[in-house]
Parts: sequence; C-alpha cells; structure tokens
Amino acid sequence: MKASIEWLKEYTDIDVTAKQLADILTMTGSKVETIEEQGNEIQNVVVGKILEIKPHQDSDHLVVTKVDVKDEVLQIVTGANNIHEGDIVPIAKNGSTLPGGVEIKTGKLRGIDSCGMMCSVGELGLDINNYPNQIENGIMILDPKMECEVGKDIKEVLKINQVILDFEITPNRPDCLSIEGLGREVSVSLNKPFKAPRKNIDKMNVENKENIDGLTVKITAPDLCYRYIARVVKNVKIAPSPEWMIKRLNACGVRSINNIVDITNYVMLEMGQPMHAFDINSIEGKHITVRRASKGEKIITLDNQERVLTENMLVIADNKKPVAIAGVMGGQNSEIENNTQTVVFESAVFNGGSIRKTAKAVGLRTEASSRYEKGLSPENAIRAVNRAVELVELLGAGEAVEGKVDVYPTKQKVNKIPLNVAKINNLIGTNLTKEQMIEILEKLEMKIEENMVIPPYFREDVEQLADVAEEVLRFYGYDKLGTTLINAETTLGGKNKQQKILDDISKFLVNIGLSEICTFGFLSEKDLAKCNITGDNIYLKEAIEIQNPLSEDYNLMKTTSVPSMMQMLANNNNYKNKNVKLFDLSRIYQNKDQAIQKGELPLESNILTLGMYSEEEDFYTLKGIVENILEISGIAKFDIKKEKNNSMYHPGRCANFNVGNDTVATFGEANPLLTKNYEITQRVLLAEINIDKITKYARKNKKYVSITKFPAIERDIAMVVNEDIEVGEIEKIIQRKAKKSLEEAKLFDVYRNEKLGQNKKSVAYSLKFRVPDRTLKDEEINGIMKEIIAELEKTLGAELRR
Amino acid sequence: MQEKIANIKTKALEEINNANNAKELDEVRVKYLGKKGELTLILRSMGGLSPEERPIIGSLVNAVRDELEEKIKQGENRFAELEIQSKLENENIDVTMPSKKTQLGSIHPITQIIKDVEEIFIGMGYEIADGPEVELAIYNFDKLNTPPDHPARDVQDTFYITDDIVLRSQTSPVQARVMETQKPPIKIICPGTVYRSDSVDATHSPVFHQIEGLVIDKNISMADLKGTLAMFAKKCLGEKTEIRFRPHHFPFTEPSAEADVSCFVCGGKGCKVCKGEGWIELLGCGMVHPNVLKNCGIDPEEYSGFAFGFGVERIAMAKFGIDDMRLLYENDIRFLKQF
Repeated sequence: MKASIEWLKEYTDIDVTAKQLADILTMTGSKVETIEEQGNEIQNVVVGKILEIKPHQDSDHLVVTKVDVKDEVLQIVTGANNIHEGDIVPIAKNGSTLPGGVEIKTGKLRGIDSCGMMCSVGELGLDINNYPNQIENGIMILDPKMECEVGKDIKEVLKINQVILDFEITPNRPDCLSIEGLGREVSVSLNKPFKAPRKNIDKMNVENKENIDGLTVKITAPDLCYRYIARVVKNVKIAPSPEWMIKRLNACGVRSINNIVDITNYVMLEMGQPMHAFDINSIEGKHITVRRASKGEKIITLDNQERVLTENMLVIADNKKPVAIAGVMGGQNSEIENNTQTVVFESAVFNGGSIRKTAKAVGLRTEASSRYEKGLSPENAIRAVNRAVELVELLGAGEAVEGKVDVYPTKQKVNKIPLNVAKINNLIGTNLTKEQMIEILEKLEMKIEENMVIPPYFREDVEQLADVAEEVLRFYGYDKLGTTLINAETTLGGKNKQQKILDDISKFLVNIGLSEICTFGFLSEKDLAKCNITGDNIYLKEAIEIQNPLSEDYNLMKTTSVPSMMQMLANNNNYKNKNVKLFDLSRIYQNKDQAIQKGELPLESNILTLGMYSEEEDFYTLKGIVENILEISGIAKFDIKKEKNNSMYHPGRCANFNVGNDTVATFGEANPLLTKNYEITQRVLLAEINIDKITKYARKNKKYVSITKFPAIERDIAMVVNEDIEVGEIEKIIQRKAKKSLEEAKLFDVYRNEKLGQNKKSVAYSLKFRVPDRTLKDEEINGIMKEIIAELEKTLGAELRR
Repeated sequence: MQEKIANIKTKALEEINNANNAKELDEVRVKYLGKKGELTLILRSMGGLSPEERPIIGSLVNAVRDELEEKIKQGENRFAELEIQSKLENENIDVTMPSKKTQLGSIHPITQIIKDVEEIFIGMGYEIADGPEVELAIYNFDKLNTPPDHPARDVQDTFYITDDIVLRSQTSPVQARVMETQKPPIKIICPGTVYRSDSVDATHSPVFHQIEGLVIDKNISMADLKGTLAMFAKKCLGEKTEIRFRPHHFPFTEPSAEADVSCFVCGGKGCKVCKGEGWIELLGCGMVHPNVLKNCGIDPEEYSGFAFGFGVERIAMAKFGIDDMRLLYENDIRFLKQF
C-alpha cells in the first residue's frame, strides 16, 4: 500500500522527517518498505510569467521572450509556438536541473543570450496522460486558477514534491489498506490528534428505499454477500478529474481515467472500501441480483478478456446477464462511457475467502479483490458510498438522487472483550496500569464500557484478549519490552537416543573422510529407471505422488535415497573431483498398505546413505565402515547375508546386515548399469542404513567384564574348500563347535593355486581359546579342534591341510 | 705388594682412558677384573700373606676394584651415549615431507547451523522434537489457526498429496503434535525439512530447513520470548548482537513479532548483507495463539507460551557468506570441504 505524506497530513499533523516517520511506523507494525521522494531531480525550476514575445532577428522559428520570475526578468529564447504573452509557465533557471540529469545553463541561441528554459510536461518528467489539457510538443501552460504565483517552486505548484511511503500491510489489517486507516496509525504512533476529516460522512443519514429511480437489489447468496448498497447519480458529466485528485491517485500508483471512475478509486484508497460504478442503462430491468454464477456462464471483463465462470463464483447480474464478477472486476457491458448519464455506485461487502478463490481461478488479482479477500467491514461500506456521492457533488460531476438501496442481511458483529489487566501484563511481561492500557485503547478508538473493550467497526481483527494485548504492546512499544528469562519449572532438555546415535555416527564418518550432503525428498520415475527400478518394483509401487509437483522431475517422494546419492556422485564426477566420499541423512516415504488412500500417513524412515567412488576403497572398506557404524550404535550382534536381488546393486557384491528379523543395512557395489547411466567410470560403493531400525536395536548400557588372568591357547587351522563356500559358513561352524571357550577366530590367509585344483581355495584361521575362570588344558582344546574339523569336513567337504 | 697394586691401578686407569670403544673397554675390564684378571689374581693369592697384612691388602684391592669398576661404568655410559648420538645422526628425516593423515570429511553447512542452534537450546533446557514431513493438513494448518480459506493453503504455496495430506510447509505442525501428546512444561525446538512450491533460484528452493521453538508453561510472557531470543542471538551470532522486536502478524501467534538482529557482518553500521539497514530480519515469533492452545488440548486460561521459527538456509548463507542458495544442494565436494 502506497501513501503520500501529503495525503496522510489530512488526518494528522506530521512534524517528523519521512525517514523518522517510516521508522516510527515500522516499530508500531506498519512496516515501511521504501520511501520514494518524487521530484528529487528537479531543482531551481520556478513559475514564470511571459511579459513579451518578440521575433528573433536571425531565425524564423525562434522567438525572444522576457519572463518575470519574481526576483528578475529573464531573457529566454525558445522555439515553442504554443506560448502567448501573459502565459504562466515553468522556467528552468540558470543552474537548474531536470529529470535525467539535464542541466540548464545560460547560453546563446543564434547570437542572442538565453538565460534559462521553458519546460514541457515531458521535460519535467511527468506523464502527459495525467495532464489532459497540455500538449506533448509544447510548453506546459499553467492554469492561473492554481496556486502558482510567480517565482514559486514548480514542485510545490504541481505537487511533484511528494514523499511516498510504501507499506507492507499484514493480512489482519485490511483497514490499513487505506489512507484513513494509515492516518489513524500515524496519529497514534506520533501521539497527535486524529483530525477525522470524514466526520460529516459518519453523521450522514441517507434514507433506505426499496428502489431509487426504479433500481432494485436482491441478494440470493447471503453467505457470500454480507451487504450491498447502491446509490444513484443523475445528469452525470464525464470529465477529467481535478489535478489534486489525479496527484493523489498517482501517488498511490493508480492512473486517472475520468471523474466517475477516479472517484471510485479515490474512495477505495481513502477508505479501503472497493467501489464499483456502472451505467444504469446497461442494467436490464434495472434490477440487480447478487448471485452465484451458473456453470459456464461468460463475461467480458473491463480488461477486454472473456472469463468463463463456475457456480462457486459470485456475480453482480441484471435480469439477463452478469455485469461484474463480484469484488474482482466489472464487466465491459456496464462500463462508464463518455455519454453515460446516470451512474450507479455500488459499495458491497463479500465473503473474503470466496473472492480470493474467484480472483485466483480467473487469474485476476485486483486492488479490489486483494482488499476483499482480507474481509472488510460492512459498516464501512455505507460511509464509502456516501463519500463517493459527496465527491461527485464536490467535483460537479452529477446530481445525487436521494436515498439508497441497502440490502444488509448479515449485520457486522460487535466484539466485547473483558479487560483483564493482570492477564495482559502476564502475557506480554509488562507492569502497566489499567489507566495506561485504557489510554492506548481509547486512542485506537476502542470503547471501554463496564470493563469491556469494544473495538471500532474497522477493527474486526480484535477478537480476544490476546489481540487487545497486542494493541497495548504496539503502542506501549515493542522496543520497550523487557528481556526476561523464563521463570518456570526447570526442564532437563537434551537429545534422545536416536539423536545421540546420529551425532556419534556423523562424527565418525567425518573423521574417516566422508562429507555430508543435502538432498531433496523428491524424485521421478526417470530417476528410478536410471537406478534400474522399473515395473513392479516396490520402490515404484510405494512411491507417493505429489498432486501439484514443480515439474515432472520432482513428482514423487523418495522411496530410496540411492538415486539422489548417485546424482550427487555424478555431479562431483562431472566436476572431475577425485576420491569422493559422501553421506546423506534423509528420509524415505513409503506408502505401505495404501495408507495415503486411507487418509493415513505413509511410513517415513530416516536413512543414512553412504556413496563413494575412490581408488582406495573397495567392498571390504565399505563393509568395515558399516560394521563400525553398527558398533558405534551399540549393536554387537548382527548377521551378514548376501543380497542377490536388489536391482540397484551388483548381484555378486551386495549384502545385508540383519538383526533379528530386520535388515538394518544394505551395502555393496552399485550395479554397473547405474554407473553407466550416471556416467561414472569408476566402481561406486553404496550403503543404505536404516537409522530407525538401528535405534531400535541399539544398546548403549555398558557393563564391565573382568579381564581374565588365565592364559589363552592358540591353534591354527588351514583347509581346502570349494570356491563357492563362503568363509562366513566356516566361521559359523567354528563358533558353533568351539562354544564359549573361543575368544577369537581370525582369518589370516586365503589363497588359490594350481596344486589345490580348480575351484578350490585354501582358507586358514588362527583360533584363540580362553575361559575366564581357569587355565584351559591342551586335551580340552584338542577335543574341540577335532569336533570343529569333523564338522567342517562333514558339512562343507573341507580337507584339512596338515 | 702395595706397589704392585698401585702399578696395576695406574696401568688400568690409563687403559680405561685409552679405550676407543665399548669393546676395548670390556677387554680392559676382563684383563683386570675378570675371573683371571690381574686384580682378581691378587685377591686369590692373599692366602700367602700374613694375618696382619691380609686386611690391609684386602681393603686396598677392594678400593682399587671399586674405583676401576666405577671408571669402566662411566666409560660404558659414555660409549652408549655416543652410539645413540651416531644413530640419531643417521636417522635424520625431512619433516616437511607430506603426512599420512586421513583426509577429514565435513558436516553440511545447514546441519552445522542446526547443530549450533540445538546446542544453545539444549543448554537452556530444551528437547529436540521431530515429526512427519508428509503431514496431515489438519496439523499443518487447521490446528495452527489457519482455516481452509486461508491464503497459506493455496496450491501455489503448498505441495498436496491429497486434499488432506500435504508436504509440511513449516515445522510448526510438530508443535501441535507435541502439545497434543505432552503435558506442560514443554520446551522444544524442532529442526526439520519443509516444502514450499518455489522454483529453485539463488534465494529460493522448494525444499529448505526451518527451526521452530516452543515453550508452554504457566506465566510465560512475551518478555520471556524476547529474553530467550536475545540470549540465543548472542550465543549464535556473537556476544555483541542486539535484538529488536517489530509488530507483525502470524495466524498462530498473538501478539506476534518479527525479530531483527543487529547485522553480524557489519555490526550494525550498514553493509551489503543488511542492505544498509544495520538490522537483519531473523525470525518470526509470538505468544502462542489461544485458539492454537485450545485446538491442541491445552487450556489457555491456565497456560501460555511462545513460539518462534526461522529459516536455516538464510542464516547459513549470511553467516558463511554463501551468495547462491543452489550451492547448498549441488553438493560439490569442493564446496562441502570448506565447512
């Protein structure tokens, strides 16, 4: 919302600079975004009176003039041909500046001294459209009726010395989308009296009639239209508006059209109530109905666009057709024309939400709709229409017809809020007296009756005590608010189990050289396809679709974190970064059991994803990192199982770590199809670790086990087995047979050669036995070793090497 | 006899002095003090002496033996020292050669800011709360006093999964969930990912991060909120940071405020980061709206509370001097390693 200080001064005295005013208003809640000072570039341009015009002796098209600028009479040579002796014109004196950095200096024109320049509208940086009586290629001739005594600064005369503040108005304050509302805020903020220049309007009592001049009104959608008032003006003379009105409209960023249309805009800016004016002759049957549009109904709006309406939209209609989209824009069929004789002024209040949706649906967010959507006061509507009629008479633009048609099905509610001084002080942390609070509230035109706060009609946002507290605080001063510390029950605070585990894990990963990345929760079917996920794959089936995605690349929610990790590795590969090791902590979202379709939330899991390509790392480095992560989390026991069916991974180089029935981690080499699709030439290592499941199994309570004093017995065992036997199977047998006395089984050698035969390998373990309470005897260990060997031979066909 | 002993002593001392290394020294020791050494032999031959002479000669020999042993030991120590010294000289290395350290990784700048903030609030007794990102509209909007007609619910701003399920557009729904399940006193912060329908550019992203704070208890005031945030600003942005409250409007708080902090780049003098204002808009905050308390089952007559929320990216960018938001999501390792 833009407002000129000149206009605001109509409401209260302003004796501070624009910058000070902006700062003060910002601190009371009307945030000033910018301060625009018009006419800054125009310096030393004054009003001059042409005393004489004589021909130039050496030129046919130049003339030599004498101009009175009060202090002196200047000789000015000009080529203008629209000037006459006695004309009053803007004179740029010697040493003056004009918009665009133009400097005017005394000089000679065809040998004759010229001590300045007469200015055109354009040379003063003004829009010719706003000066209908001026010509584009001539000197601006000032109207002697204006206050334009000779020698006066042209900026004052033309009111281009305006300072315009641009406010950011919060949506709860539609009253501040008006000069009047802002004027009130300025007066309270500066602690100056509010001049209430519209007092006469408030007192005006216009008789309510069924019809005026045959015009009748009916509301068939009272849920969407709370009040509709019409007044009629006869013998209308469409003409340009006076300059003072144009100036004010311009300052607010509104262009002048003609007196009647300008009056509607002026009233909207002044009072915050959008107005509409239309030609009564375009109203078929002179009967206005405020109704829902029928589906597919069409209207051509004032901007010459055809709009197709739906039954959710409200229209102003005559007996046959809609003449306006209510609260959004008028129709071309009822537009004010130059020959319009009788005008209907509409001042209505509609349901804010409905107007907002309609404006969005037809793609027209207008000055009117943006006010309506915040919810306007029906009590203000009557003031606005009366003000419009008053302006018509002031401008001599027509004659008001007596009476109004006022359909007001839903009266505006009056809020009454008990003034609980202690509660307000408690809530905001102040120590104000009741009198101090009442003083502030009364300045804001709130009434205090029987200890109840009654906000004025234009403050519908003040509904309960918290709102009253905010008003008190605004004018007590947010900056005076103390800074106290909470005086309440002590809380311990801290991180929970999962948060602590995550801290430990991320510290570990950073220490071994991994960098954390940040990824989006979106993906697309294309991304999944690049990761070899197609068809019936669960990652595709459980993906949640966004109704209104930014693009097709972002239309699904992540069911796996692998595609985004691959993409980030690919980015780094493109940048030619070497040895890239990344981790990502993000969520996946799985639509389990059609949860979304049942109105329930999907399963969200926290997944830690590792991704790397590097000369130095292989599957077993990755396996070690994942094992370390489990150890750090306090998971001591987990099983490893080869995973051949996860299509994102290399079928021969992928495994799961399982705890109980849960897979807590999947890791391995990326399927070469992925590296090819993402154009990475090295092998990529990937791991997905389910942090929620890790947290479930994590045990952090540690207990000391006494360190045994008894010696260990060590035995080595080497065997030849078939190539497809996994060492994990050998280890399991060793552990099962050795039972509790086995302290450690360490693989120390695996080799293959011709002597062993094809598809054979030699595997050697070093076993360490120890029990806590005594020294083991050789015979015991011999027995255990025999059992282990027998079992290895039996189950795995191992041949012992002696 | 005594003369013989004196000669042995003189000779031995001379030979000890002349020994060039540990081996020669040892030879001297064997020659005089060994089993068949000259001094040992004298001791052994003492049987032939008179009973008067025996103790005199015995103590003399012992004194000489002790002295020689001492000198030999000194010599040994000297040679050991020399040996170490020559070893050290041979083992000289170039300490400026590259190390064998592990290349450290890094924590993403967004996470770093979140961790810093978490630490500050944990110190003030807060817990860290968490909630779903795919959220019921009821929690994202309705319970937070944002009814179905509210502009914030527009499709232009919010991603919808169904009419009733959205991608949370703020971390505030976590507040509602905590208020519903926990009894006051409540002191939480909830950092998290939020989603808004903005295209990616230098200052916007459809996915970004917020940190939300909530305190509910008896007699919580707006001055407490200002005090808490003032403390937070000093700890997070520097001890000299000042805080300023301006009135504002949010559906879920009343009274509401926007909090500015004195620019932590220029200290309030005015610079590019604060656009010459000296202040940087930090966050939105206010007293939890009574309607929100009611919606979440907390009696506004008994309890009050405050809430605040801010965007992590903005702070990370200002604090680290990052001029394009996209850098945060491109994850170029040359960028990440700087943090």
